[in-house]
Amino acid sequence: MRIQAVFEKNERVRHIGHLDIQRAVQRGLRRSGLPVAYSNGFNPHILVSFASALSTGACGRREIMDVTMAEEVEPALFLEKMNGAMPPEMRLLEARRVEDRHPALTALLKAASYDLTLRDPGQAEKLIAAVDAMMGQDRILAVRKSKSGLKECDIKPLIYALRGKGSHLYATLALTERETCKPGMLLDAMKNAAGIPPEEEVRMLVIRTALLGEDGEGRLAPLESL
Amino acid sequence: MTDYNELIEEMLEKVQKAPRYTGGEMNAQVKPWAEAPLHFAFCFPDTYEIGMSHLGMKILTGIINEQNWSLCERCFMPWVDMMALMKEKQVPLFTLESRRPLREFDVVGFTLMYEMSYSNVLAMLEMGGIPLLSADRGEEDPIVVAGGGCASNPEPMAAFIDAFMIGAGEDLIVELNRAILDAKNEGLPRMECLKKLAQIPGVYVPAFYRAEYNPDGTLKSFGPVSPEFPARIEKRYVYDFDHTYFPTKFPVPYTDVVFDRITLEIMRGCTRGCRFCQAGMLYRPVRERSLETLVRQAEALVASTGYEEISLSSLSSGDYSCLPELIRELMRRMKDRRVSISLPSLRIDSVLKESLEETQQVKKSSLTFAPEAGTQRLRDVINKGVTEEDLIEKVRDAFEGGWSSVKLYFMDGLPTETEADLDGIADLARKVVAEYFRVPKEQRAKGLRVTVSASTFVPKPFTPFQWAAQDTIPVINEKQEHLREKLKIKGVNFNWHAPNLSFLEACFSRGDRRMGLVLKRAYERGCMLDGWNDQFKFDEWMQAFADCGIDPAFYANRERGKDELLPWDFLDCGVTKEFLWREKEKSDRAEVTKDCRQGCNGCGIQRYKGLCSYAPRKEERHADPGGI
Repeated sequence: MRIQAVFEKNERVRHIGHLDIQRAVQRGLRRSGLPVAYSNGFNPHILVSFASALSTGACGRREIMDVTMAEEVEPALFLEKMNGAMPPEMRLLEARRVEDRHPALTALLKAASYDLTLRDPGQAEKLIAAVDAMMGQDRILAVRKSKSGLKECDIKPLIYALRGKGSHLYATLALTERETCKPGMLLDAMKNAAGIPPEEEVRMLVIRTALLGEDGEGRLAPLESL
Repeated sequence: MTDYNELIEEMLEKVQKAPRYTGGEMNAQVKPWAEAPLHFAFCFPDTYEIGMSHLGMKILTGIINEQNWSLCERCFMPWVDMMALMKEKQVPLFTLESRRPLREFDVVGFTLMYEMSYSNVLAMLEMGGIPLLSADRGEEDPIVVAGGGCASNPEPMAAFIDAFMIGAGEDLIVELNRAILDAKNEGLPRMECLKKLAQIPGVYVPAFYRAEYNPDGTLKSFGPVSPEFPARIEKRYVYDFDHTYFPTKFPVPYTDVVFDRITLEIMRGCTRGCRFCQAGMLYRPVRERSLETLVRQAEALVASTGYEEISLSSLSSGDYSCLPELIRELMRRMKDRRVSISLPSLRIDSVLKESLEETQQVKKSSLTFAPEAGTQRLRDVINKGVTEEDLIEKVRDAFEGGWSSVKLYFMDGLPTETEADLDGIADLARKVVAEYFRVPKEQRAKGLRVTVSASTFVPKPFTPFQWAAQDTIPVINEKQEHLREKLKIKGVNFNWHAPNLSFLEACFSRGDRRMGLVLKRAYERGCMLDGWNDQFKFDEWMQAFADCGIDPAFYANRERGKDELLPWDFLDCGVTKEFLWREKEKSDRAEVTKDCRQGCNGCGIQRYKGLCSYAPRKEERHADPGGI
């Protein structure tokens, strides 16, 4: 059986990279004493996967892990044991049982929602004022960093929702194995639209608030509800 | 209190490796500030990755936090990028837990593990908002204390540290903190508080001692300024090592640190008596933890940390009396939890090898041997009880057991070393290679790699070589060149380091108070993080010596006479000066001294009743010609 659990990566540990977060979860699972399943082979590791890597520097409110258990475990017990075994900075919020044939998290993932907190009120005002104009454009150009170098691309089809309020930008952006719009790409495009020179630093705290898939009707819905 | 949190958050977004500064690890103890009246900042004068690998820090922070009247927070040396930002934004050096500046703590404690981290102590003090010199500190400043292996010659740091803790810190740190808290509660002035500290056995307060020098630069006299302070300071010991405090929880770093695993201290001390080894002399006598205690500690730590690996730690783990039983028991218990047991610097006996292979997949990465010297003569000089036959036999075992990678550690510049000894290193390497090819091709693992490492010998206080001269830099360079030529052997890699750092280590390890002037000057010239190759500024150090009119060769390259008063002679670290001199004379004759377990060698530890289990009983002592 597998257990999917929703967890948090809070401000204090936001600079921890994904590989280190994975290891922290593995060690949490080991501390929990839960009957987790191990891979075979030379260096056995715990069978746990994650819906998506979260960038260094970003917080996550509803990140998702998928753990293969060696025997039946009640989700409530899983939650209790894990919360006794994880640092307070990485609390688990929910857990549910999924069938072995339930698709892998990465296969279901379509998008993510973000709360982008802008540190400078002046910049926030300018950026938010530019949202509608930018979304009215036919194309929104942004620079994607890839292995082959920098590449300009149109991110408009990758922005599913975008609105601003106070010092926050709320965005839902594509996140699949094929096509992804990172918050940084969105910000670059918005700076452009707001007339903020590219070299001007815009400090923002990235909080990923939800990981989304598609429900039966093709609507975006939290991955943990699918 | 100024709130630096916002600024710190902004800096963290800009530095490499922000997790060095953020804490929040599993098991990191965070006590509310108001909950304890005494606040201790435990400072490790190197980066987080180094400091978090250090067992002593885990033990002592644990002990301080265990007292309901004291709390302990951690602080590490920031990397250069962080330091630059802190300077720019005027953020003082802060602790990981509450992010308070060091100056807000009652006690700021440094662990001195390595001479070349001294400049970092100065940097941390200054960044933490604390006057560098003890003499310049006022009533509002913290008491700055230090301990650790290098505190066995505290003199080069005497101007910067208010009180040193000499010897085992487990009990001492609690007594010291208690005295500081009492002084605080009574409203005692700083000087009065330091006077109280100077009365605690094992505490050295440099302000109350004076050094005078002869015209030739040697020490003329050293002693307390008033009879109320002890003339000799005895180091502290842990008598009941089996029951002394050991943490059941270690903080588990998120990021890679140097030793990211459970470290079980299976014993303290070593009976072998290698003459170059300061730890072997200082941490006498040998004391073991019982198998039951170790198994209990391992169980608790595996449960609380989730670590995948346990490493058994001591100066010579192979000498632990029930080692095979301990390993088998740990393996039996840990197998289902996929916890592996690693054995550093261990002689793999054949019985053990079998059980290792049966019960777990041993990572056959590399085996390390430390013959230290290339010929039997020189190994006898340093009393390294390893013979060539021993080594070759173990290497053969390893190659037959499927290892193909072997590391051999040597020192160059040992007392009495000649070209023949250097050639011996190459001969030994060649024999190791030959041993590999002697194993039938189908049986041996592919990819032979013999790595020969040579470090430069640094004479240390409280060893029989404390009187010895270190080879000069040009001589070491020549010897290394010779070795490079001789070690051009197929399958052999040679590692060496420029001797500059070892030269400075030698200056500090046997330095007196005047080395403190050089340190301060070098720090002012920008020297810090000296242990990091890319940060080490040798020329600046040499300039600092010149600025102070001090000749480094006086400390590093000068042989001392028997009667010279040495800067650390006022400390009683267990082994007596008479014993060390006897050992020095034996080494001159290339005469070996037996392992303590085969009979007492009269090192001086037997003066402490009930401490050494190999010390003779009273009536036997007269019969022992080596005794004192």
